[in-house]
Amino acid sequence: MSIDVVRKWVDRPLGMQDLFPQQAKFRRKVESVLLEEFDEHGFEMVSCGAFEYVDTLLRGRAAAEAEAWVRVFDTLGRTVALRPEMTPSIARMAAPVLSGGNKEIKWCYAERVYHRTDDPASLSWVSGRAAESTQVGVEWIGPSSHEVDAKLLLMCQSGLKRLGLKDWQMVVSHAGFASAFLSASGIESAVVDDLLAMLARGDYVGFRRIVDGQEDTELASGDVLLSVLSKLDPFSSSRLTDLIHVSWKDASLGKQVEHYWDSLVQFAAQLKSMGLANQLTFDLTLTRDISYYTGIVFEVFANGVGAPVALGGRYDGLLASFGAPAPAVGFTYEVERLMAALSEIEWTTQPTNDGETGASE
Amino acid sequence: MLTIALAKGRTADDVMPLWTSALLPKPEGMDESRSLVFHASTDGLAGHADGVTGKSAGNAGNADGRSGFGESEDEAFRFLLAKPADVPTYVSFGVADIGIVGKDVVLESGREVYELLDLKKAECRLCVAGRPEHRGKPAHRVATKYPRLADQYFRSRGEAVEIIPLGGSIELAAVIGLADRIFDLVQTGSTLKANGLVIFDEVMDVSARLVANRSSYRTKRRLIDEISARLGESITAQAGV
Repeated sequence: MSIDVVRKWVDRPLGMQDLFPQQAKFRRKVESVLLEEFDEHGFEMVSCGAFEYVDTLLRGRAAAEAEAWVRVFDTLGRTVALRPEMTPSIARMAAPVLSGGNKEIKWCYAERVYHRTDDPASLSWVSGRAAESTQVGVEWIGPSSHEVDAKLLLMCQSGLKRLGLKDWQMVVSHAGFASAFLSASGIESAVVDDLLAMLARGDYVGFRRIVDGQEDTELASGDVLLSVLSKLDPFSSSRLTDLIHVSWKDASLGKQVEHYWDSLVQFAAQLKSMGLANQLTFDLTLTRDISYYTGIVFEVFANGVGAPVALGGRYDGLLASFGAPAPAVGFTYEVERLMAALSEIEWTTQPTNDGETGASE
Repeated sequence: MLTIALAKGRTADDVMPLWTSALLPKPEGMDESRSLVFHASTDGLAGHADGVTGKSAGNAGNADGRSGFGESEDEAFRFLLAKPADVPTYVSFGVADIGIVGKDVVLESGREVYELLDLKKAECRLCVAGRPEHRGKPAHRVATKYPRLADQYFRSRGEAVEIIPLGGSIELAAVIGLADRIFDLVQTGSTLKANGLVIFDEVMDVSARLVANRSSYRTKRRLIDEISARLGESITAQAGV
């Protein structure tokens, strides 16, 4: 084919990706394997439209988060957006069902989600934010305990194993810990927000600079705060006050931090008892850029893919903003990133006999 | 294996002595060769101590009792010499696990990488410069390698300008009158001076940073933390001279 000929081919919009037969089949395969896993654990599949009201999506989170969404006006002049993720839609669908007397909802989904991006799809799929990507995930609404959270992590890990992915690392954190810890250490709340944004971006140099720029000379240095946060390991099952020399500037916040810590230690013990401690580490600097999380948060990383292949957490406050207060926890796999990680280990070339594929051992 | 992307040129030249003084395995034969990929020498750390520049005695002490790097398969180091602007790309895609590149490049690229450490090397300033006769007059056209940062800067000053993205020799744009401002990195200022240009404003100080791929940082945490800690100690030791 010569490329210097003018052709009447038509371009794709920015961020849109085509899948040719082999890849399309591969994606469907990954989705099915993960959905089978969910099905075995009693999660039922639901689906809904790609557009939600911006107001719906914004419940329980900061207005600035809408910046990354594809927003348009509907015919009646209301702002709608292509869903950036499935959790708000699931919460919207679940609230009436909960009000109707259901105590527990276990739903799963496999849907496309959307973000604004300036990068061509071929670049942003594997790292960073793709304009359109596929999420296969679950939401477990109703029960709340360390055991439930641990079961969710177990399911997430066994899904990865079912796909045959080996080199992955699960990193667990707590949505409230870093914030409470920094506030209790005497940092003003506005600054704490900036610091959390730095942690979410992974800008540790910026984190140290902001802390060290504070006028309060009694503050610990940025380096100290950062290394304390990243080294605290709930698997050690020690009391927080035995691990670090603490003199909280704000005693009630300090109590809060210690409360979070005790709960993390219990959770770590639960994980250990369920044999989940391999390939799992705690890092309390891990911060998600979604504000509705209230409890544990986690991300899973795989070799060769620059962004998490699975991510989720506990959001006990979100359902209340949809009119049916209930605790909930959920996570999603990022299918295209999994595809990238899997194609590194030549998953595609393995013989495929339907239904049986992927089971690793 | 750990892959390290180094920004070719001044960043790599300036950081390599620090890298060596931190007693980290260093790329073999990087000076003589024109190749782009280097493997770390495997002759153990003792061999490197000879090459330590400056404060060798103090730094050697830091490494006491530590196991060497680059001996086992998992800890082999591979170095990529890349164009600075490509380093964040390599790192964000995970082609390289960690990278060493200027803050200016990290900011301009907007790529998602973890920024672990300020290496305090290859220090320079991002400046706005131009011909003396344009001083104090409103800016119209700005030539730069940093269109994103230049746009942020002029917007923050409430100035609407036209940005002219160029690949190099930015000074030329001001000299021949293509632009009335240039927005570029200034090290000593001698290139500006030689071309009859003056600095109007210093926007920010930049220096080399240790960056990491998000996934590598999680899966190879121990190794990357150790590198970061050793470099940190060397920086402190050198600052204390």
